[in-house]
Amino acid sequence: MAEKKRRMDWGYLGSLALSVCLALLVGAVIMWAAGYNPGKAYGELLRGATGCSSVGEFFTSVFTKRQFGNTLEYTMVLCMTGLACALGARVGIFNVGGEGQLYLGAIVSAYIGVLLSGCSAWLVIPAAALGAMAVGGFYAWVPGVLKVKLKVNEVITTIMLNSIAIYFCAYLSTGPWKTTQTNRVSGTETLAANLQFTRLIKGSSLTTAILAAAVVALLVWYVMSKTTTGYEMKMTGQNRRFAFFSGLKVDTITIAAMTVSGAMCGLVGMFEVYGLKGSYQDGISNEFYFDGLLVAMIMRYNPVGIIGMSILFAVLRIGASGMELNAGVPGELYRIIQSVIIFFMAAESGISAAVGARRARRKASREAKARLEECSRG
Amino acid sequence: MQEPVVRFEHISMQFPGVLANDDVSLEVRKGEIFALVGENGAGKSTLMNVLYGIHTPTGGSLTIKGKKMQHFSPKNAIDLGVGMVHQHFMLVPSFTVAENIVLSREPRRGGLLYDRKAARQKTEALSREYGLKVDPDAVVREIGVGLQQRVEILKTLYRGADILILDEPTAVLTPQETEELFDILRRMVREKGMTVILITHKLGEVVSVSDRVGVMRQGRLVSLEETKNVTERSLAAKMVGRNVLHDPFLKESQAGEVRIRAEKLSVLDNRGLPAVKELSLEVRAGEVVGIAAVEGNGQSELIEAITGMRPMSGGNVEICGTSIRGMSPGRIRRLGLAHVPEDRLSTGVNPQGTISENLIMGKHRSREFTRLGFHVNKGALERYVGKIFSRFDVRAAGLDTTVGSLSGGNVQKVVIAREFSFDTPVLVISQPTRGVDIGAIEFIHQHIMDKRAQGCAILLCSADLDEVFRLSDRIVTMYEGRITGSFPAEKITKEEIGYYMTGARSEEGTSHG
Amino acid sequence: MGNLFTVGLFQQMLRSATPVGLAAMGGLMTEHAGIMNIGMDGMILMGAFTAVSVSWLMGSAWLGLLAAILVGILVGLFFALFVVKFKSDEFIIGTALNILAGGLTVFLLRSLFQVKGTFQGTPDRPVVGLPRVNLGILAKIPVIGPILDGSSVFILLTWLLVLVMWVFVYRTPWGFWIRAAGEKPDTLRTAGINPERMKWLSSVICGGFCGLAGAQLALGNVTLFSEGMSNSRGYVAFACVIFGAANPGKAYLAALMFGFFDALGYRLQDYNINANLTSTIPYVITVVMMVYVVVRSQRRQKQR
Repeated sequence: MAEKKRRMDWGYLGSLALSVCLALLVGAVIMWAAGYNPGKAYGELLRGATGCSSVGEFFTSVFTKRQFGNTLEYTMVLCMTGLACALGARVGIFNVGGEGQLYLGAIVSAYIGVLLSGCSAWLVIPAAALGAMAVGGFYAWVPGVLKVKLKVNEVITTIMLNSIAIYFCAYLSTGPWKTTQTNRVSGTETLAANLQFTRLIKGSSLTTAILAAAVVALLVWYVMSKTTTGYEMKMTGQNRRFAFFSGLKVDTITIAAMTVSGAMCGLVGMFEVYGLKGSYQDGISNEFYFDGLLVAMIMRYNPVGIIGMSILFAVLRIGASGMELNAGVPGELYRIIQSVIIFFMAAESGISAAVGARRARRKASREAKARLEECSRG
Repeated sequence: MQEPVVRFEHISMQFPGVLANDDVSLEVRKGEIFALVGENGAGKSTLMNVLYGIHTPTGGSLTIKGKKMQHFSPKNAIDLGVGMVHQHFMLVPSFTVAENIVLSREPRRGGLLYDRKAARQKTEALSREYGLKVDPDAVVREIGVGLQQRVEILKTLYRGADILILDEPTAVLTPQETEELFDILRRMVREKGMTVILITHKLGEVVSVSDRVGVMRQGRLVSLEETKNVTERSLAAKMVGRNVLHDPFLKESQAGEVRIRAEKLSVLDNRGLPAVKELSLEVRAGEVVGIAAVEGNGQSELIEAITGMRPMSGGNVEICGTSIRGMSPGRIRRLGLAHVPEDRLSTGVNPQGTISENLIMGKHRSREFTRLGFHVNKGALERYVGKIFSRFDVRAAGLDTTVGSLSGGNVQKVVIAREFSFDTPVLVISQPTRGVDIGAIEFIHQHIMDKRAQGCAILLCSADLDEVFRLSDRIVTMYEGRITGSFPAEKITKEEIGYYMTGARSEEGTSHG
Repeated sequence: MGNLFTVGLFQQMLRSATPVGLAAMGGLMTEHAGIMNIGMDGMILMGAFTAVSVSWLMGSAWLGLLAAILVGILVGLFFALFVVKFKSDEFIIGTALNILAGGLTVFLLRSLFQVKGTFQGTPDRPVVGLPRVNLGILAKIPVIGPILDGSSVFILLTWLLVLVMWVFVYRTPWGFWIRAAGEKPDTLRTAGINPERMKWLSSVICGGFCGLAGAQLALGNVTLFSEGMSNSRGYVAFACVIFGAANPGKAYLAALMFGFFDALGYRLQDYNINANLTSTIPYVITVVMMVYVVVRSQRRQKQR
């Protein structure tokens, strides 16, 4: 049986690989139609994501490349946001509000850094991380409670809360929490250098935050797949009534999963501020959460799959800016490719289900005929 | 000899894995009431769905009024005058009676607009013509099941049906409503020359209303006779293909202390109407109390309130001496209650989960199966689940099979295996063998009796009166949310109990333990 | 505060409400057919882009509008292909559609028009906007006259469309069939009508209305396309559908309310209140209304 399960996964991975290839093909056709050179563009995409122009260079010096560092950093972001989405989805609640939670986490952690400037990093960084997680968690807890206690559709509330959070952060960063630096129109005060995470590759956005993220990702994976809590989450998400009937605290589990999901998003915001940007700035997240959401959906909320798929999506997104710069192709192409992957996956499963049903019907009809003939002979 | 209006010739219907109809040949004559009987899963409904064009048969041919069916679709069947009243009503709850009746063939104004006035008039005309009284403007959601059934019949008549199929029409009706329905059917046949095909498994009805009867078993038509030549007993034997009666259990009275005590319990249904009304009930250790009631008389709500699945609106319930007011199912379980629910696929299992995941639920946090209190100890868990799996004889490829892919009987075995393995002092069992094959029924009954022998207090609720009689020490009848009688099982007959189930008779006051 | 409620406020209210209201007219069709349509935002965005580019190319706002509706219908077909035919998860497909719309419009904006951010046409050839109403003598009617005079023609046409949709949903056979397809598909199937076909139909109508909403947004309210200009309006429209229990009149009223608070936000900027802060108002109201409506309908159900 264990073998059978694994085989099924291979089938899924196969169709995933096919979908990715087809999506890249669609991307190529779009580029060709718009008058670009697809080959060059994809070449630049790879170069933009790794910083390497040849395979040889990749093996010798990829870890020194700025672009590769950026890709790894974005892999981390996708991993965190994707897992955050999966946490909710596992218990049957969709957190679409990660973007807002991320923004709030970012600005709160940045402000904590400003308030505690001069203190030791050992104090500031944990405080900022906790603050970011608290505010992100709270911002997910609200729609979680509304969903569980009042049955208010969480998709709509979290999307609305995104807009509210983004505007509110913009207000804070241009109003009360605005920097005094005269050369910046918005954003919080830049953090002291000792508070910022160490860069792992010079010039890139890759910082030690990735280590913290790795720990969090491992923890989430472990809880989801190896613990009784993970089991309870799965049962709650798959059949809520059954879980309730069996004595699980379904409401608590759901709200907790949603809150942790929000806390993770808040933490990503803190990583962006303390790692990449050094202060809160407008547009600190450019739909990072939605990218993570897509990754999670494509991998059907499977934690290991999300970690793997994050790499591909990070390559696409970071590479896209290289592609835009050097091949002139608008970087937004990566969004098209991402969504087309989903459409291909959905079409594939839809078509194969239809084909399977037809095949079963035909087989049944053949069997019935054979039996009838047997009867009439016998 | 009357002419056949419907002729099935060598009809076969093969679903993936199931041969639902196996070479069925059958003629139905014009102007008769034809009864088709058989157990659950014998293929009656499938055959009728073929007639109504929902299924395209995988073999054989169907002729309606001399026309051989080529394309099977409800539309073609309707055009030929076939109408079907499904067991689960096909009505749109938010539409009015008239809107439901004219659906798909709405009278129009100017070719585009729905003509409300005409729809109402047509409904009223039909209602008068056939003596089926309905209010055309009532919203279907708000009328009772008996009326909803009338709407269903009117709908088929509106579409011009003269061949009427009724699938288990009496399952939700009281005996009075049933008698009323049969009067209408007889009148329709006599006065309008219609043909009625009745699917049922209630043999008494067959004998009282039909002209001819066909018996189906395991997809085959095994008997076809004039009703006047058959008896309930002979039909039953044909339906099952062997002696229907299970051996009775030897039951010695051994009742101990009270384990379930409901006092003046009131419960609301999904629509917020009172479903259980100030009901009092006791179940003692070592006895099985069976609830006998027609579907929809509050027994489901009663069970749900006792197990914490539904809040009580008044009164109190004690399990093993502790009041469960406001408790979640989880807390009630910790008091020592296990529950086999009525609807196993929506409540009793997680169909997407594997057999192990479903069997371990409730024990997954016990020290035996975890390390450090949170890490799942897979080895210990698999050993334990494997043991239960074989003890309860679940037929499946392995422990990693998803429960949703199992047959009804095996799903029920998973539920019973899990719930019985808690070894609780109180068991609440609802519909233990609904849709379960005969072999598994015996198996499940035996396990219930074993639990009784171990001193468990068991509250049983079943739509199958034979089952209630076979297993119970005491039978409690319910009607409209109240207990109408309480009898030692050996001191009452099925006929007698029928009066109490329909409220025609009632013992003064409520039950006493 | 006396001069807070000016003519400008109500003009802005109608301006904000109209695209949302139009999209809600489409959204209530899919809602009735039992499809949770999260993809409206993307449909609006594609409609807006098509409207602007065709209006610029052909020099006609009406052709732009027509093209937007057609593209909306195509997107509706595409949506139905997945949701109805392939039975994919509506939420996933809707989200993917929104992301595709965001990516595709920006990609096309940059590769076709070589601009980033906003496209307002070229100096020699501007984007043509939809005509505005000239009430003439009627503009003298107190209160209503000045509010409506000079407003985009679709603000008035929307009222007509709301009425048409109400009749369609509650007074035509197709309305009945679509509602039955959502509420109890098997009933419709046994009545001889394919419920899936009704879902296709509702999805196509929804696409058309969202295209129209996009055109109104880009050619009626303004005459330009900017990246991500739908700005969650599709979601707001979805919320309006829920507020209005999928009833066209009530859904439009909900859209008006959104418009009012949106306009109020703009007005409050004149009182030196931070623009970002006032921008949150309509979204906050949407959440509050969402909770209020759901709680109220539950309480009412319990009382029955």
